[in-house]
Amino acid sequence: MRAVRNGGVPGRIRVLAAVSVVGLALLFGALAFGTASAREGLRVVGHDEGPQVVASASLYLSLSDMDAQVADVLLMGNGYDAQRAAALKRYEQRRAEVGDTLLRARGLAEGDAPAIRTITSVLAGLGRYERLAAQALLLNEQAGHQPGPPPRAVLDRYREASDVMQKVLLPQAYNLTLENATTVRHTHERERTSIRVTVVAVVVIGAGAVGCLVWLQVYLARRFRRVFGPALLVATALTALSALSGAAVLNGQATTLDTAKRDGFDSVLVLARARAIANSMHADQSRFLLDPERADTYQHTYLDKSQALMYVDAPNLGAYQDKVAGTSRYLGLLGTELAERPSPEVVTAYQGFQQADRAMRALPAVAAVAERMGGVRTGFEGYDTSLVRLSDGHRAVYTRAVADGDGALDGLWRVLPFGIVAIGAAVVAGVRPRLKEYR
Amino acid sequence: MRLTPILAAALLAGTLLAAGCGAGGSESVVGRDTLVIGVRPDLPAIGLRKPDGSFEGFDVDVASYVAGKLGAEARFVPVLAADRERKLVAGEVDLVLATFSITQERKKTISFAGPYHISYQDILVRADQRGIDNVADLKGRRICEVKGANAAQRVIEERKVAAEVVRVDDYAACTALLKRNGVDAITTNDVILAGLAGQAGGLRLVNAQFNEQRTGVGLRKDDLDGCEAVNRAITDMYQDGTARKLLVKWFGKSGLRLDPVAVPQFEGCS
Repeated sequence: MRAVRNGGVPGRIRVLAAVSVVGLALLFGALAFGTASAREGLRVVGHDEGPQVVASASLYLSLSDMDAQVADVLLMGNGYDAQRAAALKRYEQRRAEVGDTLLRARGLAEGDAPAIRTITSVLAGLGRYERLAAQALLLNEQAGHQPGPPPRAVLDRYREASDVMQKVLLPQAYNLTLENATTVRHTHERERTSIRVTVVAVVVIGAGAVGCLVWLQVYLARRFRRVFGPALLVATALTALSALSGAAVLNGQATTLDTAKRDGFDSVLVLARARAIANSMHADQSRFLLDPERADTYQHTYLDKSQALMYVDAPNLGAYQDKVAGTSRYLGLLGTELAERPSPEVVTAYQGFQQADRAMRALPAVAAVAERMGGVRTGFEGYDTSLVRLSDGHRAVYTRAVADGDGALDGLWRVLPFGIVAIGAAVVAGVRPRLKEYR
Repeated sequence: MRLTPILAAALLAGTLLAAGCGAGGSESVVGRDTLVIGVRPDLPAIGLRKPDGSFEGFDVDVASYVAGKLGAEARFVPVLAADRERKLVAGEVDLVLATFSITQERKKTISFAGPYHISYQDILVRADQRGIDNVADLKGRRICEVKGANAAQRVIEERKVAAEVVRVDDYAACTALLKRNGVDAITTNDVILAGLAGQAGGLRLVNAQFNEQRTGVGLRKDDLDGCEAVNRAITDMYQDGTARKLLVKWFGKSGLRLDPVAVPQFEGCS
C-alpha cells in the first residue's frame, strides 16, 4: 500500500494482479467445493445408500413371501405334489435371503441405534416365526388332508406364525426401508442446496475476477497508452469462460441429482414397496381359503392393501373390483406414482389380477383352491412382472442420470486444471513486460 | 483494494440469499418451542377434558411423548371428529392425535405420520349378553351409532350384515341405551369401546377385531421433516417400552386384547 500512496505504479499493478489471482483462486475453490457436493450427492443417491435402500425393500418381500409359501403348502394339503415341493423350496430360498439381507443391513446400520434395535428385534421374531411355521408344516404333513383348509391344530399353529409375521416382522422391515430412505432424502436436499449456493458463488466470484482483470487492463492501457494487452484479454476471456461453464455444469448437476432422485430412486423404491404389498395380498388370498373362521378378516386386509396400493372409493371388495375395472385414475401408493409416470401395462395387469381374485372368491372351496393355484397365480405373476419391468425402466433412468452426472464432472475437471494454468500464465505474461519498464 | 470487500460482501449476500431460500417457507413441526396439539375432549381413556380444563388419555400421553422427542412443549386444544382436518389446514393446530384414522381421502389435504396404534372395529355388549361373538352375529340386532360416525354403516355395507341401526348424538347416549336394553350392541373403534366399558361398568368387549383402523398423527401436508421426525419418535416409543406402558395404563383393565405390542407399519411420509 505504501507503494500506492507514493504513487508507485508497479506497486499498484502488483496489487491489482494479486487481487485478480486471489479472485481466480476463490473461483476454482468454489468450483472444487461445488464438485465435491455434487460427487457426494451422486455417491449417496446413485452409488451407496440409494441402491442399498432399494435392496433393503427386498427384506419385506422375502419375509412376506416366506409366509405366502407356508400358506400355500398348507392349502395344497396332499395334492399338487410338484407345486408343493416348489413352494417348500422357495420357502427355504427366501429364508436364506432374509438371513443374508439382515446381516448386510446390520453392517450398514453401524452407529444407528434405533436401526440396530429394529434388526435385532426382527432376528428374534424370525426365530419365533420359523419355529411356529415348522410346527405347522410338520402337523400339516402328518394330517395329509385334502386340498383346502387344514385341521384345527395346523391352523392354530399357522395363525400364531402368521400373526408374528404380519404384526411384528413385516412392519419393522417396512419401517426400516422408510427410515433408510429418509437418509437419502436428507443428503440429496443438503447437497442440492449446497450446489445451488455454489453456483451463485461461482457467478459472483467469476464476475469479480473478470472485473479485476478488466480494471487491471484499463489501468495498464491508461498508464502505458496501449489499447490492448493481448495476454490479459485472453486471461479475462478464459476466466469468464471457466466461471460460466463451471456454473453451468454445477447447475446441471443439481438437475441431474433431482432426476436421479425423483424419477429414479423414488420411483424404484415406490415400486419395490408396491411389489412387497402385492405379495402379501397374494398371501391373503391363500389365507382366505385356508382359514374359514378368519376368512372375513383376510378378505378385509386384502381389500385394505388393495386400497393402499390403488385407491378408489368403495365400501366393499365387490364394489372395489367393479370400480377398478372401469377406471384408470387411482390414488394410493401405486396409484399416485402411476398418475405421475403412467404405465398402462401395470394398470391392465392389476385389473386382471383383481378380476382373477373375484372369480376365485365366487367359487366353492375345492374349486377355489384350484383357481388360486391356477388363474389367480397367473394373474398375480403377470402383475408382478409388469411392476418389475416398470421398475427396470426407472432404474435405467436412474443409472443414466448418475452416469451423466459423473461424466459431466469428469469432463469439467479434465479441462479446468489447464484453464487455471493458462489463466495464471496469461496474467503473468500481461503484467511482466509493464513491470520490467520500471527496473 | 476496494474490490476485495465488495467481492466478499457480494459473495456473502449471495450465499445468505440462497441459504435463506432453502430454509424459508417451511412450516415444519421440527424446531418449535411449543406445539399446539389437537386431541379429543370427549373420549374416556383416549382424549378427555377434565373439569380443570386439562386433558388426559392414551392419545394425550402419546402426544406428550412425541412433543418431548421433538424438543417442544405440548399445548393441548380440543378437536372434534368433524374439524380435525380443517383445523390442521387452517394452521390452528400443529399436530392432531385424536383417533385419527389414516385414509387415502384425508391424505389429499393433510399428511399422516404413524400409525402409532392399530385398532380394530369391535363390538360392545352387556356383560351378560350371549350369542354375539363376531360381526355376523349382529344380523337382526339393534346396534347404536353416533351421528357422524360410519362404523354401523360399515357393518351393513362392507360386511353385508343386516343389522338395525339406532342413531344417537353421542357415546354417553349409546351406553345408556345399551344398559337399559334399548340396543343390543355398540360398534366402533375398539379403543373407544374400551374407554366406554371402563367408564360405565357392566359391559363387555367382544374382541371380534374386524376392520383394521390405522390411527395416525395428522400433520400439515408436505411437512416431510416433521412426518419423519414423528415416525422416529413413534419407533422410539415402541422400542423403549413406553408404548406398552401407556397401553396397559389406559386399556389394561378394559378387556381389550393388547398383544402383540409392536410398532405398526408406517404409512410413509412422501
